[in-house]
Amino acid sequence: MPRTERCSYFEDVEIGVPLETPAMTVTAAHVSLFAGLSGGAPPTDPDVVPHLLALCLSSGLGWRVPRPPLVVLAFMGFDWKFHLPIRIGDTIRSRSHTASKRSMKEGGVVFEHRDLVNQRGEIVQSGRLTLLVAKRKSA
Amino acid sequence: MLSYAGVSAQAPLSFEDIKVGEEFISPGRTVTEMDVVLFAGLSGDYNVLHTDAEHMKSSQFGERIAHGLLVLSLQQGLVSRIAPELVELPMAELAWKFRGPIKIGDTVHVVARVSDKRPADRPGVGIVTIARRVLNQRGEVVQEGESEHMVERRLG
Repeated sequence: MPRTERCSYFEDVEIGVPLETPAMTVTAAHVSLFAGLSGGAPPTDPDVVPHLLALCLSSGLGWRVPRPPLVVLAFMGFDWKFHLPIRIGDTIRSRSHTASKRSMKEGGVVFEHRDLVNQRGEIVQSGRLTLLVAKRKSA
Repeated sequence: MLSYAGVSAQAPLSFEDIKVGEEFISPGRTVTEMDVVLFAGLSGDYNVLHTDAEHMKSSQFGERIAHGLLVLSLQQGLVSRIAPELVELPMAELAWKFRGPIKIGDTVHVVARVSDKRPADRPGVGIVTIARRVLNQRGEVVQEGESEHMVERRLG
């Protein structure tokens, strides 16, 4: 059998198991790229990382956990809180766990709690994400 | 002599200036393949939904779809083109729903409305709520949600 990307499915998702991503330093390059892409107003404080950029970076970090990637069919929504500003040069990582999950006809819904943490261990952003995840195909 | 006075930010909004019910309609923006590729590189989200055109041919969407968070980010940029003083207020909370797929070539615009304002627990601070809807070129709501922002409040 050739090696292919291993995946995690709805059935593999365990409630309450903590997952932690590697950390990433947020740079001026991230902020410039994001500003050009989103086309937002120039920031009032150029050292402060846009709130939504940090949320976007956490979505990429979220794939870098010690678990084969989840087969996410759709990102359904989130409820998010912004606690503290993130500045250029800060190093963030995300800590998450599945708070609950609900089986549906096609796939299942996973509710994930996520904290975004800075280099001092402070929670800078946190919230709950709702994902539609595929079920394992029965052979 | 050079002067930067002309580009200084406009006076910040205060709680008292904010009118509940005021509505804003943004310009449109076409979501391109470059937006999706750039966003994958920036965020590190390379999910096949957004990056594998061949895989997506057999999916329910038939093609790659834009990252939800990409369109959320474009939405913020679009609204800030018509109401920067409002949507650039420090955000405290954001509740968001992704209602439908956005495909490469779709054109989105945003309808935003000041839905509430109330004093915060802290003196001198107010909270303003903005309800936002992202619509595609057919008028379908593809994303919607509410943001809460902190705003200075005059005392007394």
